[in-house]
Amino acid sequence: MAVSVETRPTLESDETVRARQQRRTIGLAIFAALSVGAVVAAHDVPDWMDSGIQEWAQDKYKWSVLNRQSSKIFTWLFNPIADLLTWAVENAESLLLALRWPGVVAVVAAIGWRTGGPRAALAGGLAIFGVGVIADWDHAMTTLAIMAVAVIIALVLGVPLGILTARSDKTERVVRVLLDTAQVMPIFVYFSPVQLFFGLKFPPAVVVTVIYALPPAVRLTNLGLRQVPVVINEVGHSFGTTTFQQLIKVQLPMARRTILLGLNQVIMMAFAIVVLASLLGTGDLGQDVLAALQKQEVGQAFAAGLGIVLMAVALDRISTGEKSVRHSRLATMMPKVSARTATMLAIGVPVVVIVLARVIDTSEFPSSLTFDLAPVIDDGVKWVQDNLRKGVPIIGGTQSISDFITLHLLDPLRDFLLWLPWLLIVVLMALAGWLSKGWRLAATIAVCLLLIGTMGSQGDITIWDHAMDTLSQVLVAIVLSVAIALPLGMWAGRSDRVERVLRPFLDGAQVLPQFVYLLPVVFLFSIGRAAGVVACVIYAIPPCIRLTSLGMREVPFAPREAAISFGATGRQEMRNVQLPLARKAILLGINQTMMMVLATVIIAALIGAGGLGLLAYRAAAKPQIDFGLGTAGGLSIVLLAIMLDRLTQAWGTRSDSEVSTKGST
Amino acid sequence: MTSIRRKGQLAIAGVLIAAALAACGDDSKSSTDGDSGGTTGEAITLAVNPWTGSAVNAYVAKAVIEANLGAPVEIIDIDENATWVGLDDGTIDATLEVWPSGHAADYETYITGKKTVLDLGKLGPQAKIGWYVPKFVIDAHPELATWEGFKDPELAKLFATAESGDLGQFTMGDPSYVTYDEQIIENLGLPLKYVVAGSEAALLTAIDQSIADQKPLLMQFWKPHWKSATVDLVEVQLPAITPECEASLAAQDGKYACDYPIDELYKAANAGLEAKNAAVFKMLSAMQLTTEQQSEIGSYIDGEGMTPEAAAKKWVDANPDVWKAWLA
Repeated sequence: MAVSVETRPTLESDETVRARQQRRTIGLAIFAALSVGAVVAAHDVPDWMDSGIQEWAQDKYKWSVLNRQSSKIFTWLFNPIADLLTWAVENAESLLLALRWPGVVAVVAAIGWRTGGPRAALAGGLAIFGVGVIADWDHAMTTLAIMAVAVIIALVLGVPLGILTARSDKTERVVRVLLDTAQVMPIFVYFSPVQLFFGLKFPPAVVVTVIYALPPAVRLTNLGLRQVPVVINEVGHSFGTTTFQQLIKVQLPMARRTILLGLNQVIMMAFAIVVLASLLGTGDLGQDVLAALQKQEVGQAFAAGLGIVLMAVALDRISTGEKSVRHSRLATMMPKVSARTATMLAIGVPVVVIVLARVIDTSEFPSSLTFDLAPVIDDGVKWVQDNLRKGVPIIGGTQSISDFITLHLLDPLRDFLLWLPWLLIVVLMALAGWLSKGWRLAATIAVCLLLIGTMGSQGDITIWDHAMDTLSQVLVAIVLSVAIALPLGMWAGRSDRVERVLRPFLDGAQVLPQFVYLLPVVFLFSIGRAAGVVACVIYAIPPCIRLTSLGMREVPFAPREAAISFGATGRQEMRNVQLPLARKAILLGINQTMMMVLATVIIAALIGAGGLGLLAYRAAAKPQIDFGLGTAGGLSIVLLAIMLDRLTQAWGTRSDSEVSTKGST
Repeated sequence: MTSIRRKGQLAIAGVLIAAALAACGDDSKSSTDGDSGGTTGEAITLAVNPWTGSAVNAYVAKAVIEANLGAPVEIIDIDENATWVGLDDGTIDATLEVWPSGHAADYETYITGKKTVLDLGKLGPQAKIGWYVPKFVIDAHPELATWEGFKDPELAKLFATAESGDLGQFTMGDPSYVTYDEQIIENLGLPLKYVVAGSEAALLTAIDQSIADQKPLLMQFWKPHWKSATVDLVEVQLPAITPECEASLAAQDGKYACDYPIDELYKAANAGLEAKNAAVFKMLSAMQLTTEQQSEIGSYIDGEGMTPEAAAKKWVDANPDVWKAWLA
């Protein structure tokens, strides 16, 4: 997120070169000394470093349990908010149901038509209709109502916060840490407190969704405002605008596209959390997924999960906010109408549809139009489970892959990390930070790791040891994800056909609830860390492919053309021209992959990955006993994430004098 | 450009307003959903946790209350741990099947401590947590029917996985369930490694996998469970409960080395339920089902694919003597 400008003079005098070498030598000497100190000091995190954060959090939890009916914080603040949220969701829900299903389809199509032209209208309308075909329509409307309320709140909070962060670098730094925390902190950690604060059903579900979906709204508003060219701001000032006028009339309109992209990302994030939020008793599509899983009905869960995906696709298509530039065949077939007529149509058609739908009673989605996807999926899953586990030529099958990942990747790496003196890991990671960017990054990394050391222990296992276990899983998952995604992304970046084939899968995978494929993963890879790694990889691959492909595509054509005209082969051109120029986007893809993997650590814990994820889950599973422990685990995941994020971002911005910006998730 | 955009926004606003107008019509569907069949009074909310038995109890109670006590009953499907928060603040009026072993801390906090939740007495069925293996394991190695069989490292190794290395793997499901397994393994000195699967669904999948491959699996499991209708699971005999073990349990000293105690399922309600609807409170307090009755209704749901509502109604219609006693 930080906008850092690093300039390096092209011609350096001998003196500056010498000074730099000297600084380097001194730095290396300092790190060497620190390493020696680290090895000499205790091998394990000493007891006295325990900050008591577990006990503190447990006390606060207990206090909330005992005082939620009497304390003013609850009666004056949380309870009214909860009532308001219940009111909003229930009304949104009954509104959607009152529109009847044809009305909802018509409204979605009309909005799509005005924001994205006929293409978006068709895609949005079809997608939302498809929800009714494969999933429970009424439950889907409940989900949609929760999403709508959560997204509106996320924007109401996020855009002003984004404006604030755009105005001050200091605010930005603070807010950035908060946003990273919101995104990576496992939901299970704040699950129990949110229940205590806001009760059950809709209010806590909305709150949880807002926490998770808020970051892109802030980040992209900030980014959009910071991208407004200085010249334009100057022009505004020279006309004597006030700061407020400047914001409303110049900056926000100029940043409109980026902010709309933020809206789109907010919606996607909100849909990504639906299933977890429905643990709170929302009675929506997410709960259909959970209920089916409880009975091992993978097909049912998948169908409900696809319903969530289709709903997300519909909202995605109508919220991207830009008409497709290419004149699609569809667009040219449509008669040209004036803006006024278009507006009238966009209002009129849905109204007519709604009135008609209410006259001929269509309160239920007609069962003749529904299609039971579950048996089809169950057959497919069964085939995969029967055939991929063993006896596959060359690779052997998923069972042997699983054993290989555990015995030859995870075990050695974890044992190595646990074998190293803990302070040596701190020093070495800080050294990596210093080499990548400088002292400031080195300090950030060291602080993150040292803080993990203050988290205490679970029985006789320190949180640090759990963190190294998780770190080993995260590193293996990242390497595997990148190894799979990078070639695919490069291929998609060079071939439109591949991109077109992959795109719907990538879109779907981003919002398909991870729960729907967890059980097949367990069946194929057995309970344990390997299965956890596989689940992380499946989840993390799509953004990596997408960003790699995007990076390849954004390389200007001229240098590539030049290379080819000099006789470079396609492969040479790719390796020597396109890839280096796309490096930054690819590194951003890797950075995002890493964040996705860390966000999945908690899901991996549900299939046997253990480590920090399992600790965090305990906060929700047994809050009376383990809330403090879970909080320590969750905070450690956040600290690992911040450390890895800052480090990989530094790789993306290290060389060249350029302005780097990190987008949303 | 600006004016076109503004019109676009206007159009969206217009659509939404039209939609709102449409909604202001008389019969919004959700408002008719709430009251079923001419019942009046404040709705009673019953929790259903994600297993069949829980749904059986709640829907039977719903059928009886709505037909005889004139109060509408709402069902909320909810996670078992979140249920307690709802019982505490009254969002949930009652839950009819609590497994005591998993909720000792909740009992202490809400029932004996804060007194916002009441123990409504036993439901009837007894449950048993323990160590279980698929039947084929016992068929091949009868000595594994008791814990002593697991002392043999060679036999324990049958349960080894990549996660457990040379030891046998002991698999635990959801970490929110009660577990003494780590203590039992250590105190009995068994060559086993305790591995947490993380969720019940993952554990169930591990059972399927074990049976498909005939690869032995040792796990913590419990009966009654719907899975035992389709797979044959055998309980491994652990040492009988001794006074020392009972003392260890009370002291939480980590020295437990015996079998799991029997779980007597109980009912719990929000403390305000009696004031809210005394008749319902009385009926729920008196309500009891036997294990046989519960599994009969459960088989309508899991076996015959009926909805819990229809299954409960079928049983209620056929067995008036049982539930009339709850109303006396």
